[in-house]
Amino acid sequence: MIYIHQSSCISPQLSFPVPDLSRLVESSENQMRVVEPGNYAIPASVLRRMGKAVRIGVGAAIPLLKWAPQAAGIVIGTANGGMEDCIRFLNQIIEYDEGMLTPGNFVQSTPNAIASQMSLLNGNNAYNITHVHRGLSFENAVIDIAMLIKDEPSLTYLLGAVDEISTYNFNIDYLGGWYKKESISNLDLYLSGSEGSIAGEGAALFLVNGISRSAIACIDAIHTFHGKKPDLVFDQLRQFLDKYHGHEKNIDLFISGENGDSRLTGYYEEAEKLLAKETGVARFKHMSGEYPTASAIAVWIACDIFQNQSIPEHMLKKAPSAPEMKQILIYNNYKGVQHSFMLVSKV
Amino acid sequence: MGRIFVTGIGVISALGDSVSSNREALKSGKCGISLLEMFSSKYSGQLPCGEIKTDNARLRDRLGETRRGITRTSLLALHAFKEAIADALLGPAELESQDTALIGASTVGGMCLTDELYHDATKDSGGSEYLSSYDCSSAFLDLQQVYKLNGIIDTINTACSSSANAILHGARLIRHGLAKRAIVGGADGLAKFTINGFNALRILSNEPCAPFDQNRKGLNLGEGGAFLVLEEESVAASKKSYAEISGYCNTNDSFHPSSLSETGEGPFLAMKGALASAGLEPSAIGFINAHGTGTENNDEAESRAMLRLFSPPPKFASTKSNTGHTLGASGAMEAIYSLLNLRYQEIYPSLHFSEPIQSTGLKPVLHYQPADLQHVMSNSFGFGGNCTSLIFSTPAS
Repeated sequence: MIYIHQSSCISPQLSFPVPDLSRLVESSENQMRVVEPGNYAIPASVLRRMGKAVRIGVGAAIPLLKWAPQAAGIVIGTANGGMEDCIRFLNQIIEYDEGMLTPGNFVQSTPNAIASQMSLLNGNNAYNITHVHRGLSFENAVIDIAMLIKDEPSLTYLLGAVDEISTYNFNIDYLGGWYKKESISNLDLYLSGSEGSIAGEGAALFLVNGISRSAIACIDAIHTFHGKKPDLVFDQLRQFLDKYHGHEKNIDLFISGENGDSRLTGYYEEAEKLLAKETGVARFKHMSGEYPTASAIAVWIACDIFQNQSIPEHMLKKAPSAPEMKQILIYNNYKGVQHSFMLVSKV
Repeated sequence: MGRIFVTGIGVISALGDSVSSNREALKSGKCGISLLEMFSSKYSGQLPCGEIKTDNARLRDRLGETRRGITRTSLLALHAFKEAIADALLGPAELESQDTALIGASTVGGMCLTDELYHDATKDSGGSEYLSSYDCSSAFLDLQQVYKLNGIIDTINTACSSSANAILHGARLIRHGLAKRAIVGGADGLAKFTINGFNALRILSNEPCAPFDQNRKGLNLGEGGAFLVLEEESVAASKKSYAEISGYCNTNDSFHPSSLSETGEGPFLAMKGALASAGLEPSAIGFINAHGTGTENNDEAESRAMLRLFSPPPKFASTKSNTGHTLGASGAMEAIYSLLNLRYQEIYPSLHFSEPIQSTGLKPVLHYQPADLQHVMSNSFGFGGNCTSLIFSTPAS
């Protein structure tokens, strides 16, 4: 049981520092870039060296670290870390023909720079790790945190996920066919019927422990798997619900990772087949865009829904029957191979 | 909770393409570091590296690998994985079980194809066969596919301690009942990206590295793949095992993005924490496979940390003087060498050492020797202050 006590998110929506999800920010050129705060609570000399992934990750973590400067563990999921720094360093290698290069971009581009910078801010010597398993980076961080909490439930840990859009990964995934060829707005994401999605980025962080008192939400269970067959989703979800849940009717809302890619819709339909008719269906990739750790934003949105007991209209594919949102099921699928289920409940 | 045993190992490095060839090389004090020659770079023919002199075509051939988009990092991972699972006698039933986890580690991943990456990142159309191969996880997603793995699958990147943390994470998954078996390790191919990165930091030596020597000039990059099969006591019971994983600890030095604190706080806490988790006194450790990169910063900080924790420090050596620094593979590779220390009750010498660091006076083991070992520690410290120490122990008979 992972109890979430605080959450913080820098996303393409108005999520930081005070969230307002009712107003939807539109995409531009098939990309949803984060709305960065006007100023970060990071010393200027440190901020200057940070690439975007490190900046938004640390920027979103700072309000949480105020509550737990010596968090007993910092566990971050990021598929790529600082890609913009990575391409800058690549450019240096090519342009200067492997001459004398400056190392700043190289150091900032290593994916563990995000988590280590969070430790560095407060001189924290505790457990620090970075999971980089592409579309299951955040989920593996969740599994890691669940074990830390089981060992020491009374200690507080920082959990989160960060990824950025860079010219580098946008181009590569575009060439790979993962972004739409035609220009569309995020408002029409689920109507396009074509292959590919729109690109996204974000940082979502959580302060967690094993104490239920005054928590916002609880991640009750998580399951990950790999595979390409859509009917795997049906079988695995049925097993997951049998094991952890008992009855589909208790799921008030299903948050689907549907991303407008016609090749992936079938997977989400398999999951929806198992839902009770009372369960509402909500989508979020029109808010975040698609990126490997977008499922962390889904957990953050679930926390927001529990706290405010309202679901932004633009998210709803089907309205829920229950008056109060108590239990949410999240299913996310990355590139048709990496899948995850998370059960999140109101505390 | 049951104990966790290592029941299979596999390694490919500049020393050889099997566990036995690596052991023979270590015993005879062979140095696998030579001038870079396998890929085109400004540093070809100039920079000493722990390079595996087998090209990708040959590696593919030996593995029967015909799929497109497979990088050198993947080939090294596949090679070591294959040896490790054969050693642990794992067949399809065990591999495809939901109880079998795979925890990989890499720092450069598919970016070993630095030039291809640059072109794919910048051109408008076409795209190479490697579009989905550049990230750190691609090698382990390949393994998932080839062996139809169904358990928890993860990739870790904590820079130079990545695969030490893969071992630690796999052991924790077993301890928590989330897997009965975890295949854990890492791989990294040599890359223009890392060579130029470390060169820009001015920590590459133009000679074979001399860990813990007063006049050390820096590190040599290497490449390789290394995997261990960890199994829960009940599963491992009927099998041969190399050792038990008895202790581990992950800490952060929290000092600087790319160098260790002078006192080696992170290394000190990692070694101390590993001892605590194993329930051992410092004096129980018979040998340390040190991180020992050969850089000014690491070797002094690690020495200071050893001096603080142990009185006096046990015998130690750095196998990076044989293999170079294999980054994402190094934690697992050195864990395997530690297991060989225990299995064969022997210590392999550190190379190229002549004079102790003035301020610490520590001297690594310089000659091959038999030894009576029960507990061996393996250290891995990385950029971002990510420090991990592991302890392996011979099963008490």
